[in-house]
Amino acid sequence: MSTKHTSDGYHRLWDRFRSFRRELTERTPSLTRSQVAYLLISPFFVLFGLFLLFPIVYTIYLSFFEYQGVGDGRLFYVDLGPIFFEVPRIAELQFVGFGNYTSMLADGLFWQSMFNTTYILAIQVPIMIGLALALALALNAGFVRFKGVFRTAIALPVSANIVAYSTIFLILFNETGFINYLLSVVGVQPIEWMRSEFWARKTIVGAVTWRWTGYNMIILLAGLQTIPQQLYEAAEIDGASRWEKFRYVTLPQLKPVLLFVVVLSTIGTFKLFAEPYVITGGGPTNATITIVQYIYEEAFVGSPNLGYASALTVVFVAIVSVISIVQIKIGGDD
Amino acid sequence: MREQRRKDAVWKFLTYSFILVMTVAMMVPLYWMIVAATLPQEEFIQFPPRLYPGTHFFENFAVLHAETEFVVSIWNSVFIAVVYTVLSVLLCSMAGFAFAKYEFRFKEPIFYLILATLVLPIQLLVIPLFLMMSQIGWMDTFRAIILPWLANPIGIFLMRQNMRSIPDALLESARMDGATEFQIFYRIALPAMRSSLAALAIILFLFQWDLFLYPLVILESSANYTIPVALSGLEESRRINYDQIMVASSLAIIPLAILFLVLQKQFVSGILAGSLKE
Amino acid sequence: MASEYMSQNTMYGRLGRRRLMTGAAALSGAALAGCVGTGDPDDDDSDDTDSDEMADEIEAWGWDVAARSLELTAEEYEAEHDATINVEEHGQDAMKEDLRSRLTGGSGAPDVAMLELIDGPAEIGTGAVQDITDRVDEAGIEADFVDGAWASLVEDDSIYALPWDIGPTAVFYRRDIYDEHGLDADEIETWDDFQEQGEQLPDDIYMFNIPENDLDGVWRYQFRQLGNQPFTDDGEVNIHNDDSVMIAETLKELYDAGLASTYDGWSTEWFNGYGEGEIASLPSAAWMEGTLRDELPDTAGNWGVYRIPAHEEGGPRASNWGGSSLMIPSQIESAEQNRAFDYVKWSLATDEMQLLMYDEYGLFPALETTYDHDDVFDEELDFYDGQAARRLFADVAEEMPEYEYSVDTPYVSDAINNEFLRMLRDDEDPEETVIAAAEYVADRTDRDLA
Repeated sequence: MSTKHTSDGYHRLWDRFRSFRRELTERTPSLTRSQVAYLLISPFFVLFGLFLLFPIVYTIYLSFFEYQGVGDGRLFYVDLGPIFFEVPRIAELQFVGFGNYTSMLADGLFWQSMFNTTYILAIQVPIMIGLALALALALNAGFVRFKGVFRTAIALPVSANIVAYSTIFLILFNETGFINYLLSVVGVQPIEWMRSEFWARKTIVGAVTWRWTGYNMIILLAGLQTIPQQLYEAAEIDGASRWEKFRYVTLPQLKPVLLFVVVLSTIGTFKLFAEPYVITGGGPTNATITIVQYIYEEAFVGSPNLGYASALTVVFVAIVSVISIVQIKIGGDD
Repeated sequence: MREQRRKDAVWKFLTYSFILVMTVAMMVPLYWMIVAATLPQEEFIQFPPRLYPGTHFFENFAVLHAETEFVVSIWNSVFIAVVYTVLSVLLCSMAGFAFAKYEFRFKEPIFYLILATLVLPIQLLVIPLFLMMSQIGWMDTFRAIILPWLANPIGIFLMRQNMRSIPDALLESARMDGATEFQIFYRIALPAMRSSLAALAIILFLFQWDLFLYPLVILESSANYTIPVALSGLEESRRINYDQIMVASSLAIIPLAILFLVLQKQFVSGILAGSLKE
Repeated sequence: MASEYMSQNTMYGRLGRRRLMTGAAALSGAALAGCVGTGDPDDDDSDDTDSDEMADEIEAWGWDVAARSLELTAEEYEAEHDATINVEEHGQDAMKEDLRSRLTGGSGAPDVAMLELIDGPAEIGTGAVQDITDRVDEAGIEADFVDGAWASLVEDDSIYALPWDIGPTAVFYRRDIYDEHGLDADEIETWDDFQEQGEQLPDDIYMFNIPENDLDGVWRYQFRQLGNQPFTDDGEVNIHNDDSVMIAETLKELYDAGLASTYDGWSTEWFNGYGEGEIASLPSAAWMEGTLRDELPDTAGNWGVYRIPAHEEGGPRASNWGGSSLMIPSQIESAEQNRAFDYVKWSLATDEMQLLMYDEYGLFPALETTYDHDDVFDEELDFYDGQAARRLFADVAEEMPEYEYSVDTPYVSDAINNEFLRMLRDDEDPEETVIAAAEYVADRTDRDLA
């Protein structure tokens, strides 16, 4: 009895909701398409304005100062009756103009970290996207069975906690670790993974690729599945080979998503932080310190060079944004 | 004909081999993590390494349970990530649809602005965000963890890219039938994007699941800790408690595995084909 | 559903737009105001210490055994005072990050926080650590602590934290291995003696371990042992002086002679190496005493301690490795500060509490007055085969030279770690090594070479 009653209740509620919605739709003056567009993106701007605008403005602002220490007292307050907002003076700052930016030019470690990041990126991103695309195509093939199992297994590495997975790699690639054990089984001399610049970078590449390949595969798979089946059917009628179907149907149709994966992976690897931080600690001899790790250390380790770290951030964001935009333009996204 | 069948067989064999090799490569570190979770710490780092599970799992879990409120942390992480994912999926698909299918002023600059926020390293946003949250009294709350990242640029970008593959003709024909723009969005665009929405959900869930430095600074009481924050407390001054970290991260995989399985049936091809035929 | 959500949003937008705009304008205005530097500092009462009022409840942060030690003294403190001390145990790195954000953010910091001596100048340099000179003077406790512990906690004659524990150095050694192979610990006065004795060991036993992940720690205790400072009074880089070259040479010679294993410090292989008798000696510091007891209980009775070898005959044999303090953030209200200092003083400046923590967790007291407790320091320890190891540490503590860490310490650590590793592995010249390290530091910190 009672179940029926509640389910009636739900139905009544649902009906009321629907009629309310209908009424609302009817009453709302019909909007032009661009008005709809603004409505659709407005939540983004509200949230962005509320939460990210201040940090971003503050970062740019700080980049022109040298941090002298914690301030005290109140810098500013906004009293709007119900809303009271106080900006305490959190820092003693000394204006240095573009000083932080010019000292960057002569900062060897900044260039080193940019180089390291680019080096890792240039190897890692192509390998990962190649593997992810191949896996997505394979798992999208009609004849493959147990797709769900494979998909989950390959995507699972991404769910490993970052500390745990970095620890696992640290131990796997230890001098007496599993990888060297495997090598010794096939008669190869153990490799000092963490102590050679060359191998330490490769270890990072391996770790990042392991974790994120499945993730990119999922995105590509989703992209593959939005390709209308009719296009393949039509190509088959025309007698297209497997390669031709890939080249003339899959690739052009997948392009927007592939572009997304490339841009996302590029930015993601540029932002690489946790893996070098935990696995190699940036070493040996700063060979794997990444730009974000460097920014982090300027801000959080030793004296807080918040001004310099902010300037590094501004430059970093500018550089990577330009690279992403170039990728998008070259990728023919218009 | 027989030639063709032979070629197909070779192709199938190669495809399966590739999938199997990759699956094994992906599973080895995870398998080893689970093995490590079942061993006492001394046995875990030895040479040659142990390749099969031990019996120490419950002992390791007991220590973990004694030192952290780990079960609570799993719940917190799941709760935060689920709420975040649901809200953000909606928000990102709305914005993505606007970018893919409408024309409006400053469309391109706005899109590149969103892209630039994708580049921002979270590490540097932490201090100003912390300042804001403490000013508005949101310290130690879940809303402080969820709200700032709702407008996720990755999500907007992904949905923009995917929504572009929806044929304009389909939207036009809906308009001809008298559908409003909102109906087009949630009756046509969203259903056509099922597999992409599933991928988006995974992306957003993971983003929130992995956040560390920010929740570390915002969350104060251990009853509110997320998994990464709780795990950070296991690190002693000189030694890392590998055994407990391995137990914790083995357990932490379970919610993600469930997420993948739940979203599994969204990954079926030919959805768009179906809606085109109607 | 979506349209429902949207229309709510529009309503919100209509009502809230003006307010939001004002807020945004205010924010950018705030940025501008700071730019011109016309902020109006509100008279905050956190600075005046006139009030004697004490808060009922404070919060203290630490990690590992330090946090557990605080819990110990908090319990004792609560029993005698009408106050609650909430001790929170964090992970080490997590606490450093969290604390740093709260210090630079200006709010949310605990009332008392652990501060490693090596991090002292950097944290004090943020301006977020309370000057406690007046309180220390009033209590008259400055002279009670070991001289060598203060340098990193004092800035421009002001005191910012109370020393907690220190790490007087010593070489721990396996008596059974030394005896079995005819090594004589009493014969070891210099590193040359150390090498000579070590050469009597068979090939499968190492004389000691050089932790390749902590080369700066090894370098620093020896650099301090010889009475050096990393920077001159004028702020010039001084890590490439003759003593530093000598240290590099000593280390390289021992390494090249094959006397050292190279396990990472505190790794499981490293503990196993000592537990299973693969490594005979362990140059370390007083805090290692308790660690060995906890980690290698099977080796009880087989250990001994002697002073770290000198670099030249008759040279100094006392130094320090590690140590920490307790500080009070300046953002804390005065009532909390009063309580915080009272608790810190109780924990660190009384013999009873320091000895309690030493006994329970092996934190070697920086409080010199404790060394007079003969019952503790002259106790013959079974683990060390009846040796009064603690007295040796206390003697070293009183002799150890002062050493000043600085905000640039992380660069020195990086430089030494990187360059020394290169020297050992790639057979580089010791003198070139220390010069390269000094140049790196000079470059990173805009300093000149001394």
